[in-house]
Amino acid sequence: MSAEPVLVMPGLEVERISDARGEPAALRAMRRQAREVLAEMVLPDRARHLWRYTDPRLFVPHRESVGAVPTEVRADWVVNGSHSATALIAGGAVRELELADVARRAGVTVTDLHGADVEETLGSAVPPSHGFVEALNTAVWQGGVLVRVPAGVRLAAPIELQIVAGGSGSVATPRVLVLAGESSSFEIVENHLCGTLESSHVLGISELLVGPSAHVRHGLVQRWHGGVIGHLTVRARLARGAKAQLSLASFGGAVVKVDAGALLEGEGAEVETCGVAMGGNRQHLDHHTEHLHSAPRTRSHLDFKVALTQAAHSTYTGLIRIAESAGASEAYQENRNLLLSADARAETIPELEILTDDVRCSHGATVAPLDAEQLFYLLSRGLPPGQAQRLIVYGFLDQTLRRLPQTTRERIEALIAERLHSED
Amino acid sequence: MTQPRPVVFACRCVHVWVGDREVVKGVDLVVAPGEIHAIMGPNGSGKSSFANALMGHPAYTLEGQVELNGEDVSGLSPDEKARAGMFLAFQYPVAIPGVSVASFLRAALTAVRGREIPVREFRRELHARMEELEMDPAFAGRHLNDGFSGGEKKRLEILQLLMLRPRFALLDETDSGLDIDALKVVAAGINAAAREDVGMVLVTHYQRLLDHVQPHVVHVLVEGRIVRSGKPELARELEARGYDWLSRENGRA
Ligand SMILES: Nc1ncnc2c1ncn2[C@@H]1O[C@H](COP(=O)(O)OP(=O)(O)OP(=O)(O)O)[C@@H](O)[C@H]1O
Ligand SMILES: [Mg+2]
Repeated sequence: MSAEPVLVMPGLEVERISDARGEPAALRAMRRQAREVLAEMVLPDRARHLWRYTDPRLFVPHRESVGAVPTEVRADWVVNGSHSATALIAGGAVRELELADVARRAGVTVTDLHGADVEETLGSAVPPSHGFVEALNTAVWQGGVLVRVPAGVRLAAPIELQIVAGGSGSVATPRVLVLAGESSSFEIVENHLCGTLESSHVLGISELLVGPSAHVRHGLVQRWHGGVIGHLTVRARLARGAKAQLSLASFGGAVVKVDAGALLEGEGAEVETCGVAMGGNRQHLDHHTEHLHSAPRTRSHLDFKVALTQAAHSTYTGLIRIAESAGASEAYQENRNLLLSADARAETIPELEILTDDVRCSHGATVAPLDAEQLFYLLSRGLPPGQAQRLIVYGFLDQTLRRLPQTTRERIEALIAERLHSED
Repeated sequence: MTQPRPVVFACRCVHVWVGDREVVKGVDLVVAPGEIHAIMGPNGSGKSSFANALMGHPAYTLEGQVELNGEDVSGLSPDEKARAGMFLAFQYPVAIPGVSVASFLRAALTAVRGREIPVREFRRELHARMEELEMDPAFAGRHLNDGFSGGEKKRLEILQLLMLRPRFALLDETDSGLDIDALKVVAAGINAAAREDVGMVLVTHYQRLLDHVQPHVVHVLVEGRIVRSGKPELARELEARGYDWLSRENGRA
């Protein structure tokens, strides 16, 4: 293993971003510090589980620039339906922000992160020390939003963010920070889209700070074009009695790594992670989840489903850590992989670090081809093979989606249907 | 010129292999419209293998002639056979999680009828059939056979039979695992499906189904061969005497 740093970001570059965006001193200092951290970092050891199946070098961009994206806002970037707020991040900047009247009156704010006062909060769930991708993002991120929902505010309609990947050769570095006040309740969905069929990078971070007794439903719906090399890190910190639902839906991209998880720091906090991923062609999908219990009576539930066609490859690693301080906690993890072709491959690796006896923890993992009996049953009722297979895959994934809020669920179902039909 | 006797289903010299083991060893069966045939036989005699292989289950290799409505269907895939009017009610229906009974049935109906069925028309029909089978309407929203009791699964098979209206139906132990009331409901369903242009084969172990559904012929399958065919009384005789005497009469065992 070479001891060379991952990437040396010239100090000038980092300062230039702060200058151009007129950032407050705290943000400027954070970038500088991340740059220092990055300069000390070497590429992760591939023997370590997190990078065993995916080459970290793929995520080291050749240049740090934010590439060209079309300047006009395209129709398919715009979200439809009723929303509490929407934001569009493209070309390294927040392009549009809209806040519904009800949300504004309730004191909800959705603002450009570059100008925000987030000294205490940004980086508190995903610090630069998290890893080289995270250090890099923290040093050079461009295009970010801060979502703040005050204590006690419950939003009926979701907040939706459209986060657009850049053109060929570009590196998008979006950043999202969500602050959920005590007892607030809302849904926020990030749609990651576009990019190109040629290579472009996305290195994104989303942090959710969920206050006491708050309930946040967070969705990450990724449907990049086929050339994107993307790494998304999501962390939720949960205070006492807080609840989070993290849903992941991965469809696009060439090489995709998602690191999602929750820090259950307050007594009685609960997280439920629901994920679906569909891979085709020669796609490489690498999902990692972490549920870290550090407070008593915390609960985590994870259900992650993967369906692969053609020569797609998926790896899933799921860490549950229950600290000594987290007595009377419960954790459940299940990962199921459906292989629809002989060339598709999947690995699934549960990792349990349980440091106290006073817990209930279980996990299950399977990798299996399409069930011949199920297929025959549907064929015997007249369904053509393609349709029969689609129905089985759809049912397989839909069991997980059932738990999601309706609009997000419907959106993901539409993407599944689109994907299944494109396989014909 | 005399009209040939119309036939819904005919198979000749059917042999079925599981791997390299022959489990059905030359079966002939001709079913005319309106006829119900019963097949009885000891456990492991090849009844399900025969039924599954006819439908085209990939675990079985079938050799022989199979005709549906006078057409050779031996080269057809299972879904093509279903669309040509063939139906198999499974001895052990498989669960398909995440797929609702209603969405599955609508897809199947669309495939078999070859046209899109408007949602309202479909619902009306589905609920009418479910009512006949004394099924809770909530079943339509449940997942296919997922968590169903044995009897519920069998009822669902008959619901499909009634909805899909095949010309030729193979029912593999649809009476097994049913309580007395359910048996009556299912038998009524079978009788409703057995219209005058329909042919049926019932695989069963029990006379009690045949008390409700009158077969025209009873066949006895032993070790992959039909060793006897006869009138419905044969079923009663089997119930009284078992199968051993038949094997002996056939000069074996
Ligand atoms: N898919 C299969 N794989 C392996 N062996 C099989 C398979 N299907 C049938 N067999 C074997 O073939 C023989 C006939 O089985 P089959 O299920 O056809 O019997 P059956 O007459 O339906 O019995 P039962 O009355 O118990 O349902 C048995 O020995 C059985 O173990
Ligand atoms: Mg059987």
